[in-house]
Amino acid sequence: MSEIIRVEDVWFRYEGADFWALKGVSLTIKRGELLAIIGQNGGGKTTLAKNLNGLLKPTKGRVLVDGLDTKTIPTHEIVKRVGYVFQNPSHQIFESTVWKEVAYGPINLGLSPEEVKQRVEWALSEVGLQGYEQYNPYDLDYGKMKLLTVASVLAMKPQVLILDEPTTGQDHAGRHLLSNLSKRLNREGFTVVIITHDMRFVAETVNRVVLVSNGEILMDGSTREVLNAFDVLKKAAIKPPQIVQLASELRKKGIDINALTIEEALQEILKHYKG
Amino acid sequence: MSVGVSLLKKTTIEAETFVQRLDGRVKFLYFLWATIIVYIFFDPLLNLIFLAVTMALAVYAKCWKPIALTILIIVVPWILFAVPILALPLGFPWNKTIIGYINILGKDYPVYLEGLGWGVTWPLRIAVAISTALLFFLTTNQAKLVATMFKMKFPFKLIYMVIATFQFIPLLASEANTIMQAQIARGLRTDVGFVQKIKNYLAVVIPLTLSALNKVQIRAIALESRGFSAPVKKTLLYEASFTKLDYAFLMTMLLVTVFLAWVYVYIGFSPLAHLPWIWSG
Amino acid sequence: MDMVWVKNMEPIIKVENLTYAYPTSKDFVLKNISFTVNKGEVLAVIGPNGAGKSTLLKALNGLVPHFYGGKYGGRVVVSGFEVLNTPISKMSTKVGFVFQDPEDQISGLALTVWEEVAFGLMMLGYPREEIDKRVREAIDYVGLTGLEKRSPFELSGGQMQRLAIATVLALRPEVIVMDEPTAQLDPLGKYEVLSVIEKLAESGSTIVLAEHEIEEVVYFADKMLLLDKGEAVAYGDTRKVVTMVEELKRRGVDPPSVTELTSLLKEKTGVDVALPVTLEEAVKIYSELLR
Repeated sequence: MSEIIRVEDVWFRYEGADFWALKGVSLTIKRGELLAIIGQNGGGKTTLAKNLNGLLKPTKGRVLVDGLDTKTIPTHEIVKRVGYVFQNPSHQIFESTVWKEVAYGPINLGLSPEEVKQRVEWALSEVGLQGYEQYNPYDLDYGKMKLLTVASVLAMKPQVLILDEPTTGQDHAGRHLLSNLSKRLNREGFTVVIITHDMRFVAETVNRVVLVSNGEILMDGSTREVLNAFDVLKKAAIKPPQIVQLASELRKKGIDINALTIEEALQEILKHYKG
Repeated sequence: MSVGVSLLKKTTIEAETFVQRLDGRVKFLYFLWATIIVYIFFDPLLNLIFLAVTMALAVYAKCWKPIALTILIIVVPWILFAVPILALPLGFPWNKTIIGYINILGKDYPVYLEGLGWGVTWPLRIAVAISTALLFFLTTNQAKLVATMFKMKFPFKLIYMVIATFQFIPLLASEANTIMQAQIARGLRTDVGFVQKIKNYLAVVIPLTLSALNKVQIRAIALESRGFSAPVKKTLLYEASFTKLDYAFLMTMLLVTVFLAWVYVYIGFSPLAHLPWIWSG
Repeated sequence: MDMVWVKNMEPIIKVENLTYAYPTSKDFVLKNISFTVNKGEVLAVIGPNGAGKSTLLKALNGLVPHFYGGKYGGRVVVSGFEVLNTPISKMSTKVGFVFQDPEDQISGLALTVWEEVAFGLMMLGYPREEIDKRVREAIDYVGLTGLEKRSPFELSGGQMQRLAIATVLALRPEVIVMDEPTAQLDPLGKYEVLSVIEKLAESGSTIVLAEHEIEEVVYFADKMLLLDKGEAVAYGDTRKVVTMVEELKRRGVDPPSVTELTSLLKEKTGVDVALPVTLEEAVKIYSELLR
């Protein structure tokens, strides 16, 4: 089955709340996709993401992960398949060494000490933290702590990896690192879902964008489609990245340029300049 | 005008009963007074009366739910746990008076008055302390509380620490929830044995504590940057002062104290339940 | 004779050879930093995480060194006060500080938005009438009118951060320092806060801010300071610093996308164009170039 997650007409309401956080959301994610879920805070993107790995269960409708219904199958089975890296590293880190922190997940899965060791070493090398095994996590800078949290979820070898706002609080170098890491993990076979509101990051990283606003999916399409749908983005109070804006303004002046990233824009301009 | 934000909730409580209007110092005194009295007496029934009065005030002030919940979580299990251990012949040293027998698995076991009394009275003393303290916190809005403590000459930094603690309990509770989710996402399971449950607990408490400490530090910095330590007289937005209501309440407490003193002298330290004296009771 | 508005050219902030290490840091976090900020100027401090931006900002209001301790060398003078010799509470009347996380700035002592804004004034013992006046002004300025009676915790991220700015404005500081004020906000929140900052900049406030949103900051920053590993790598007019594309990239900082794009174009083709720093400039340059 090429589908890994299917969201069928999901309605979700938090306990005690009098409004729907998700209103009839439907979505299909195929294996191997690399997509972003964007939208304002409070619009439902995190709620949707947490419904994808069983942390939250739909109030109405259902979510199928690898064919399993998240409402009937125990959560610990779902989280094995869909990993979720939370936004704030300090909400997860509690062990005294990097090694133990990454080992927590595999140990919970009941793997043998040999397998745990393998997984930890693999996960650390994937994110580039090999050599830091004995460090105290809190001695790491923020960027490395973030990588640590990714490693600790990767070590569970989930099929899908959800990254919740990975670029918040990062500097530019950190964002590039995470962008490259996401793309590399995707090439290696992971389905990657990134919740973010960094539009430049979206343009440089993902192939597909799902825009969530007010509990509904406003748009679901390729990065190029969504980032160029200015009126839809405006409704969600989101600004496209500068390069996309530049291309759009130039098109208005009759210059046919379509670009999402600096590299693309450069290629397009070179064509026009030479030709 | 709304009464403002009560300490254990982030949002406003819409209630304006006489309990809320009582001066903070009076309610604080009530807490101290009730706790001391139930300590002087050794009588579970008296404790229940105090508890009932306090809960009645809480119901009237519309804040009884958190108090009832806390009592339920802390005191009731305690009683259920302590009474069998103490009242049955399991080694409580002061057990002398048998008041009856209980049949467990075919054998008759004696039930001792001393153990039973102890096992019921102590938790109820705590219940009175907790309920009166919570009543104070839940019905006194923060600004008035600050003014109250300031009038009582508490050092300002201490006042801040107490209030901030309560203000941030709901924040920490929601953080704890997020942390729990993050650990579940890494395979933490709740359907496990006792030892693993301890490890689970640590997986939430450690990040929570570190996060709380970090928040406290950042907040301290932010406050310093806003003149928190300025050695000047702070302007407070509320003045704490007594009204007729406060005097009436204080008078009632005084009369009850006199009455109870009389009861103590002429009837004894256990006027209703007639429990025998245990040196630690 | 035409009257020309000239920004008052007297430096309100003077930093001379500032060198600092936290008690627990192995190496110096700030090394020999010097720069000035004139009254009414906006200085943007850019650089990778760990460069020392936060520490530098905290040296402007006395948190460094008075709150943290550590080793301190050089001089920082703000509004005539030498920071080393002035307690934080005194500096807080001259320097307002806005932190990165909106929620962490909520005092915990105030019931309502109104009281939160009044908090600093209360701490400094201002009389009641003055408090009322200033709180009203500050709340209106940041656009939180109507939310006075709400609990600060009920606000959105953007609203909370504007509240933090209001609490600072109520103290009428001479300098406003902001440490990555939009880092934790969603796009709407970022827009709200940047709008207030722009408004402050236009009305002549002196602002020092550390920010990663370089594409937005170029619109209102007069000067820029690029920090890396505790050293001042570049300092000068915004346009000058932000067009040093190679230097910025080497330090892990992305210049505005249009600036980087044009710099690459120049490399590849040798075309002679000025480097744009804003979208509008880029549109102009490219529409001429590609006709």
